[in-house]
This record gives sequence, structure tokens and C-alpha cells, in this order.
Amino acid sequence: MADSITNLTVAFVVISAAVLVARKFRFSAIPLLVLLGILCGPYAPHGTWFDLRLVEPTESTALLGRLGVLLLLFYLGLEFSASRVVQGGVTLAKGGSIYVGLNFLRGVALGWLFFHSWPETLVVAGITTISSSAIVTKLLVDLKRTANPETELILGILVFEDAFIAVYLSILSGYLLAGQTSLLTGLLGGLITVTFISVLLLLGRRMGPYLDRWLNIRSGEPFIVVSFTLLLVMAYLAEKIHVTEAVGALLMGLVLAETSHARRLIQLVTPMRDLFGAVFFFTFGMGIDYRAFAPAVWLAMVAVAATVAGNLLAGWVTAWVCGYRGRAAVNVACTIMARGEFAVIVAGLAAGAGMAGILQPFAALYILLLALISPGLARRSRWIYETLVKPWETKREREKQAVAG
Amino acid sequence: MKVAQIREAELPGLGKKYLVELESGERLGIIIYDEGNRELFYFAPEEDEPTCSVALTDQEARQVGSIIGGAFYQPKLLEKLETAIADLHIEWLKVVPQAQVVGKTIGELGLRKNLGVTVIAVIEEVDKKKKCAAINPGPTFTFVPGQTVVVAGRRDSVARFEGMVTGEGR
Repeated sequence: MADSITNLTVAFVVISAAVLVARKFRFSAIPLLVLLGILCGPYAPHGTWFDLRLVEPTESTALLGRLGVLLLLFYLGLEFSASRVVQGGVTLAKGGSIYVGLNFLRGVALGWLFFHSWPETLVVAGITTISSSAIVTKLLVDLKRTANPETELILGILVFEDAFIAVYLSILSGYLLAGQTSLLTGLLGGLITVTFISVLLLLGRRMGPYLDRWLNIRSGEPFIVVSFTLLLVMAYLAEKIHVTEAVGALLMGLVLAETSHARRLIQLVTPMRDLFGAVFFFTFGMGIDYRAFAPAVWLAMVAVAATVAGNLLAGWVTAWVCGYRGRAAVNVACTIMARGEFAVIVAGLAAGAGMAGILQPFAALYILLLALISPGLARRSRWIYETLVKPWETKREREKQAVAG
Repeated sequence: MKVAQIREAELPGLGKKYLVELESGERLGIIIYDEGNRELFYFAPEEDEPTCSVALTDQEARQVGSIIGGAFYQPKLLEKLETAIADLHIEWLKVVPQAQVVGKTIGELGLRKNLGVTVIAVIEEVDKKKKCAAINPGPTFTFVPGQTVVVAGRRDSVARFEGMVTGEGR
């Protein structure tokens, strides 16, 4: 099939189906999009009397997917505000760093166990550390837990994770693009990226007022067109100096977040992000051959088990440190489980850097399994609390009383 | 009367949360989502998980809010209503039996000349039903306990008249 509108139409019909089904069953759309990408892409199952290879990977699907990544990260940058992290105060800083730190160490250990090589280890750590803010937030709304006291901590941890993504993605992309010869040269590459970013952010802060005035465009059309152009210019510049375009997009978002137009821009960018982001997840799936799943299945299952166990522990410890007890602590542990957009972005980055091909099927299976497990786990947090944690708590209480008595 | 304790918290990515501690020990959680929807949660005393909840659209929330705020219907308990527009003050005041104005006419009191307030209307209660007794009553109109007087004037004048009607001014 030629690179025609037909191909794109079929792709969007499949994407729409995935999004609608996900909505109907209150399932997160990202794993489903990846799955359908696998099942309808060039590696789809086909035989003599049937052929599921509906969508060809063409230049246009690739381009739309690429825009999807740029917009996802642009949005992340726009939405991120340093003041939120500062506002959270000491409790949040403590809780967030404990949670992310524990999970990251777990991710590194897992990666080293699987691959015994640094680039892959860092990618696995990236895939397994950061939860999906979108899925977790939606879960909280669905379970009617938004007003619960522990929800403040959960959302605070998500903000902290976003900050971590920004830094980690910059270091990781610099490291991977530096040729991954050794850990040292790689980290040097990461450092260069970080320096570039800091300089740019400082400049951005200086330029804030000018940008503010310059972007002061009332009508919607020129405003979004100019902003989108700025995004592309930054992505291009970043690529020129060997930093991933994704990091460029993130940076542009961070710079524009400082201007007074941030809120308006977020409103305009959100539908674009949803549209092209969906294409990105779909094209990511199209690049995966399910026949390569066999070795990835075990890795994914081990990783899921380790993630669930590690998150339960990290969440519970964090909640305990931040002063949440009983069911609230168990809720924190059980809720921040789903992985999503960031795992796919990191796996896509690894594919771009030409790394082991097993990482993509691994990431796909991993997010799919977690998406299946996480809502059930969060829903059963009450049961988990009453059967596992409560007996232990009451026992401790009794022992305390015995000592006092 | 104790003022309800309200705690405000930011929910990044979701919206804003208000937790109202009621006198009864129960708590009311109000979430205002960034998309404009509201959700109300009821927490029983000493409970951290909500017992029930209700979700409202922005429009519904505004309507419910104005009902709770008393803009649609004034509860019987509050006989005194006041509306202030710039310096003009309009008040609904109930005449109590021991009030200074009881048995006197508007002319005797010289309300407009001495105080600068104007009686717009007087409402009387007959068989527990409110009935308008006089619109823009003349100087011969006599005040009787139980009447509700609607007066207009400057803030300070109305406040002085309020004292004469409710018996607190003496």
C-alpha cells in the first residue's frame, strides 16, 4: 500500500476503536493502543485466508507519532511548575524522594539482573520507575478517592515523579546518544545535556518577559501556530547539538510555562497531544513483532512482580514517613502502580538509539500487565489492609499495651 | 455560633479540595476539578474513607450553591434580610413588642426628616401568611408588633432605625 490517505484512515479507525473500547471498559488507552499496534501493524498475524496487516508503517504515521512524543513532552514541561514542588514543602520533598529513590534503585537492580550492561539497565530503570500520572489520577477519580487525605500525598508524589522524568530523560538521552561506549563517557554526554538545559532554562527565565509580550496574541490561530513553531524550532536546535528532540520539546514547555500564557497554551495543546499521542502509542506497537515476545515474557513477568512488590513497599514506607497510617498508607501503596506514557517514551528512545530489540516488546508487555493488575489492586486496597496489615497493626498495638501494662 | 473550619488543599492535575469540618464532627469534602465539575464527599466522624459522594456539573453546582446560600428561598428563621447597593441600604426588619416605635406613626417619628430613612413597605402576618399591608405608607401609618418593615436609606441611618424597631437601640 502506498503512503496514502487510505492507510492513515485505517490507522485512525483502529486508534478510535481502541480509545472507545478503553473508555467503555474504563481501561487505560495506552496499553490497548500499543496492543492494537502490534495486532494491526506489519508484524501482525496473517495466513492464507486472513491478513491482519491493516496498517503499513509509512512516513506519515511515523511523523505523526514523532509529533506525538514532542507534544507529550511539551505538555509535561508546560504543566510542570517549580512552585508546586516548592509549595509541597518538606513532607512532599521527603516523601517524593524516598518513593522515587526506592523505586529507581529497584529499577536499576532489575535492569542489571536482566542485561548486565549499563545502557540497558538505565533504560529498564526508566521504564519501571515512573508511574503514569494520567492513569493514576483517573483511577483516583473513578474510585471516588479524590477527597481522601492520602490523595494529597499520592498527587504530590506524581508531581515529584514528573520532575524526576525531566531530569532523568535529559541525562538518559544524552547518555544513549553519546554512543554508550562506557558508563563514564555516557555520563559525560548526559552532563553536557544537563548543562545545555540549565543554560537554556536560565536564558528562558531572562527571556520570559520578552516572550510574554511577543506571544501576547489575542486570537487563537496565530497563537497556537507560533507556539507550535517555537516547539519545532527548539526540537530542531536540540537535535543539531546532539540532544534528543524530545528533550528540546520538554525544554520549550518549561520555558513557556514561565510565561503568563501557560494556562491558555495548555488548553490549546491538550487536544493535539491526545490526538498525536495516540498515534505515537500505536506506531510504537507497530514496531513490535509479537514473535519476539517469548524471551520478553519472562522478563516482563519478573519485572511486574518486582514492581508490584517494590511499589507496595516503597509506597507504604513513604506513607509511613509522611504520617499516614492504616488504610490510607495501604491506599498510597496500592494506587501508584500503573505505568504508561513515560515507559513507552523511554523504550522508544532506546529503539532510536539502536539498542537491544527486546526492550520494546518488554515495555509493551510490562505496561499491559500492569494496566490489567493495577485497577484491581487499588480497588482491593481495603481487603489488603484488613487481611494483611490490620492484624499486624493490632498485634503491635497489643504488644505496646502489654509493655505499658 | 462557631464558624466551620475549612481546610484548603491543592490537588495537582485535578483541582482544588476543600474540607469542611462540621460541628457534628462529620466532614464535607468538596473537590473543584480543573474541568469545572464538582464532587461532594461525606465523611462520617473519625473516618478517612468517604461514605458517599455526589458529582455535579459546573452549572448544577452553581444552582445548588445558590440554593444553599439562600438566594432562592430564605429560611423562616432569618426574618432580617439586607441588600446593599453602593451606599443605599435596604433592610427587612421585624417589629418586636418592646420596640420604641410600637404605637407610633411614621409622621410622629419623623423618620424621613430626623433619620433619613424611608419606609418602602410594611408586611403583616395574617394566619401565618405574609400579606402586604401597605406599600409606601403615609405619615399616619402606625407600627404594630409583628409587622415587617422594609426600609431604605444610608447604612448608618438604617442601622439607627433598626435599633428603634428591634428594641436594641435603647
